[in-house]
Amino acid sequence: MAIAVSFRMASFQLSVNGQSRPVTAAPDVPLLWVLRDTLGLRGTKFGCGRGICGACTVHVDGAAMRSCVTPVGSVAHQTITTIEGLGAGGLHPVQRAWIEEDVPQCGYCQAGQIMMAASLLAVKPHPSDQEILDAMSNNLCRCGTYLRIRRAVKRAAAGGNGQRSER
Amino acid sequence: MTRISRRIFLETAAAAAGGFIVYFHSAERTDDAATPFRPNGYVRIDPDGTITVWAKNPDMGQGIKTTLAMMIAEELDADWSRVRVEQAETDRALYGGQGAGGSDGTSSDGPLGQKAGAVARAMLIAAAAGRWNVDASECETARGVVHHRASNRSAAYGELAAAAAAVPIPQDVPLKDPARYTIIGKATRGVDTTKVVTGRPIFGLDVHVPGMLYAVIDKCPVHGGRPVTVDDRAARAVPGVVRVVTVEGHENPTFLRPGVAVVASSTWAAMKGRDALRVSWDEGPGALESSETLAAQFRARAGTAGKILADRGDVDAAFREARTKVDAVYEAPFLAHATLEPQNCVAHVRGDRCEVWGPLQMPTSGTDVVAKVLGIPRENVTIHVTRIGGGFGRRLMSDFAAEAAVISRAAGAPVQVVWTREDDLRHDYYRPAGYHHVRAGLDADGGLAVWHHHLITTSRNSYRRGPNPEDTETYGLLAPVNPDPKKQFAYDFQPTLIRNCRVEYTEALTSVPTGAWRAPSHNFNAFVIECVLDELAHAAKIDPVALRLSYYGRRSDFPYEGDDATPFDPARLKGVLQMAVDKAGWHKPTSRGIGRGLAVHFTFGSYAAEVAEVSVDSGNRLRVHRVVAAVDVGRAVNPLNIEAQTQGGIIDGLSAALFGEIDIARGRTRQSTFEDYQLLRNRDAPEIDVHIIPSHERPTGFGEIALPPLAPAIANAIFSATGKRIRRLPLKAAGISV
Repeated sequence: MAIAVSFRMASFQLSVNGQSRPVTAAPDVPLLWVLRDTLGLRGTKFGCGRGICGACTVHVDGAAMRSCVTPVGSVAHQTITTIEGLGAGGLHPVQRAWIEEDVPQCGYCQAGQIMMAASLLAVKPHPSDQEILDAMSNNLCRCGTYLRIRRAVKRAAAGGNGQRSER
Repeated sequence: MTRISRRIFLETAAAAAGGFIVYFHSAERTDDAATPFRPNGYVRIDPDGTITVWAKNPDMGQGIKTTLAMMIAEELDADWSRVRVEQAETDRALYGGQGAGGSDGTSSDGPLGQKAGAVARAMLIAAAAGRWNVDASECETARGVVHHRASNRSAAYGELAAAAAAVPIPQDVPLKDPARYTIIGKATRGVDTTKVVTGRPIFGLDVHVPGMLYAVIDKCPVHGGRPVTVDDRAARAVPGVVRVVTVEGHENPTFLRPGVAVVASSTWAAMKGRDALRVSWDEGPGALESSETLAAQFRARAGTAGKILADRGDVDAAFREARTKVDAVYEAPFLAHATLEPQNCVAHVRGDRCEVWGPLQMPTSGTDVVAKVLGIPRENVTIHVTRIGGGFGRRLMSDFAAEAAVISRAAGAPVQVVWTREDDLRHDYYRPAGYHHVRAGLDADGGLAVWHHHLITTSRNSYRRGPNPEDTETYGLLAPVNPDPKKQFAYDFQPTLIRNCRVEYTEALTSVPTGAWRAPSHNFNAFVIECVLDELAHAAKIDPVALRLSYYGRRSDFPYEGDDATPFDPARLKGVLQMAVDKAGWHKPTSRGIGRGLAVHFTFGSYAAEVAEVSVDSGNRLRVHRVVAAVDVGRAVNPLNIEAQTQGGIIDGLSAALFGEIDIARGRTRQSTFEDYQLLRNRDAPEIDVHIIPSHERPTGFGEIALPPLAPAIANAIFSATGKRIRRLPLKAAGISV
């Protein structure tokens, strides 16, 4: 088996959650591992390493990206937002809706789900049911929280005014 | 300052009756006003009014951390909005055994927490009564405050903490009248929900300790194989790689399997280092195995008699004479757990001590596993349980903790072991594959007259070196045969009520690792039972509901009264069945092309019935329009969570029924990614109506009960819609997809 490993290190000034963070890494290292191991931002999750499950979803220039298959060198000049920086100065409406609907079971996929939902609503503030399904079907949840995810996205789109009563 | 002494202070009266032990310890007596009140391992009240409760069991999404805290806080009469909930440390002296499995956290550990809360409340009342010089019986509590109505005096728990700490621990404290519950029964959000949605580092993989290294392990691709020679020159040349460690397996492969670990300064470097390893393997006899050889083995073994586990009447004669007969084979594949958080663990070995941080579903047995592989006393192992990113039975094993421990010892540093998704799918402890041959029949009156069930599986009990291969495989297939009353509740199916009944078991041999998977054994045995019943009903043109109701028997047919068991009550099974069919409109006609299917199940003291409505188009695409579920889990402690677990069990069940299949080629697992081991996605999840039966019965678990009935309800609905009978899962094997 031929092994291709890049040993070439490079220095970057990553823009993460509104801060400039110096990083030295091989350019082909996935952004996920730079966030987690180098910058200590462990809210972004490792689920599959192949961009299939969506647990690693972050925003790059506002768009949802799979950090596990995004080489850090490819985002060196872009703006990165992780779950830790989503609600700068408080909870993002999507996070509030997730709490209201009590979406998480194990919770491991939820950072990625929330980043996916936030990127959907940034582009489509009032998505149709089908648009919600299409967007949220990019992200796997092993516990089966899908129905509450749908409700929470709708709640966030409605400005937090969902039907579920106060608990 | 207060020193906590570890005096075991009191065992509740129930201890003698079988296992209900609450270990209490008490603060040293002191008049210091800053003294927190910590009468036991479950409750602490600080003088500033902060109330902390500890949940003893790990939370992997089943919500036990919230459920247990609610049960404690209820008896404490705390103000829920001011309760902080912490995950308990692993501590035998304080908590006895800790773990999450068998859906018994609510039923077994909840009452311990309730007693602990009640004791603390009684001591707070005693402190207030002493302060006011009134009788304790004149005092009452509400939302964290003791009141003495006659003199119109009140004191918050925090003000009473120091005085309460000096009160002798009472021996016999009554629990609340459930009519006065203010927390139990109320829909309550998960106590970690905010941490989850803000990305706090609360999972096992998020643990970081200073000086920590990362390890990734190469294992023989053939199950049961081991490394022979290792060429690690290229691996060690990868920047960041620190060393390469050969891991010897343990004789019990559920403790530790062999491999070669690459230890590095980052996860990515460890992964790249592993890619560069060159290992030659002794593949062992497993290399000759494949899904095809296993299928042939199943068929061959079905041809000879198995071990008879139950035999009543004359099944051969009854089958000859039956008016309506089914003679069918049902087949179950291996399944992976595929927890979304891959297996991982941090361990730090220092001398003859080991500290562990990770997603252990069974921290108490995990302590033993780590101690055994290190050869140190279990008292020298400390385990910190993190939040767990999905369990489903995978993390009943603590192999990843054992790996971290032996690698940490070799590396002389704290080490985090990280499995990739490929590692996880290729080296799981899979749900056993199985083959069921059933002969069943109805008499001329439509009564269930005969049931002959030959079960052949790759036993997970054998894999873990246990006795009696059938012990773990027959759950849900046998009425009480287990002499241990605590275990009888798992053996619930009623064929043994049928006047002609035989259950036999044959083990199939395999090198493929096996283990428990959500609702173990129930998860496929229920499929067989509920589908065969449906086959009989359709063949005899009897309503599947009526057929089921005709043979359920009565409570007195199950005459055991285990101290810690919840005996099977057919009336409660009928209750969920009735609720589900009523809510689904079972007797109303369906729209064209839509079929309805039904299944019920009992396990772990809980009951569920599910009605599925499906259609299958000309392209064999399945659409599940709706699932109506009724569950009886005794008193519903947290309805919000019960709803979530029911939805989750149904979606998990549908995902496994559609796609779940691990197959074997040349001894290797074929699947390795979420592309070839698919999980259901959001757009394919059905609408689910959850109905919780109102009940004053003892609360029982609900993390598993919703899963077993789902697959048979779907298969029966597919038959109703198309006339096609499904006897093998997954559905993709029959060409059905979504």
